Amino acid sequence: MTLNLAPMVDVMMCLIIFFLLASKMVAAERYPVDLPWALAARQVEAGDLGQRVTITVRRAHDTDEVAEYVVVDWDGRQIVERVLQPGEVEALLAARAARATRENQTLRCVIRADRRVMYRHVEHVLRGCGLAKIRDIVFSVNEGSPPEKPG
Amino acid sequence: MRQRLLPAAEPVPNLAPMVDVIMVLLVFFLLGTSLDLAQQGILRTELDPRSGPGGGQRVEINPLIRIALGDVDDGRSASIHVMEYALPAGDFQQLFVYLRDRREAGADPENPVVIGAETTVRWEFVVRAMDAAVRAGFKNVQFAVSFRPGSVPGPP
Repeated sequence: MTLNLAPMVDVMMCLIIFFLLASKMVAAERYPVDLPWALAARQVEAGDLGQRVTITVRRAHDTDEVAEYVVVDWDGRQIVERVLQPGEVEALLAARAARATRENQTLRCVIRADRRVMYRHVEHVLRGCGLAKIRDIVFSVNEGSPPEKPG
Repeated sequence: MRQRLLPAAEPVPNLAPMVDVIMVLLVFFLLGTSLDLAQQGILRTELDPRSGPGGGQRVEINPLIRIALGDVDDGRSASIHVMEYALPAGDFQQLFVYLRDRREAGADPENPVVIGAETTVRWEFVVRAMDAAVRAGFKNVQFAVSFRPGSVPGPP
């Protein structure tokens, strides 16, 4: 008697594709940013973040004055990093919030901001969340106190 | 006499090695994904449900504690005002001590602490103010967000 392994292979292939995409999504969401430090930070577990939209606020043109907003998105074929104009942030948050409402889910906004950007850039995202009625906000930080500067 | 021929049996591929490889890949991606997530730390907040521009009446929020941060020395530091009381610029440990004393004096941890900052203050100082409030035991830390750009509350 030979076991029919084909259905098992099908299921495992689906799982592989899921984890492959998920790991790529997580990797893209963890685009290297010089995050601020916080002693009160707590570790994230996979289940904690749930349905979320992650916005990375990073320095642009090598200055603190200008920032760009980056989101991870699916363009129909692959996971891509999209750089948004400030005006597009509100539209994106509103669209995601509307979709979450249709699907009867709670959306959370994860903000990964470079520690050197000006508050106005982060405030812009907070304003977008307020307009989209996304109440649950998570800030990505490094755990602990900042390393001592040499000298 | 006519001879009957049995149909040839179709060869069955041996899927066992493939299953082995897929299992290894599965475990790799499963562990890789969860390890990656576990390295990140977070601070959480909730926006006030009454926030937003809206068309209705204005709602006055009376926080227990108001923290205002101002830009000092072109972004190198931040001035700290807590309830109109000035702390040394950039001394977030003092802010933590002040907030902890308020908690020990009986302040309700559920009462909102609202952080307002000038638009030019570096994000790291805002996070340090939030960090001080969370470490002091306040659970409801919020941000003053202007819905008219350029009118963010700063230090008094």
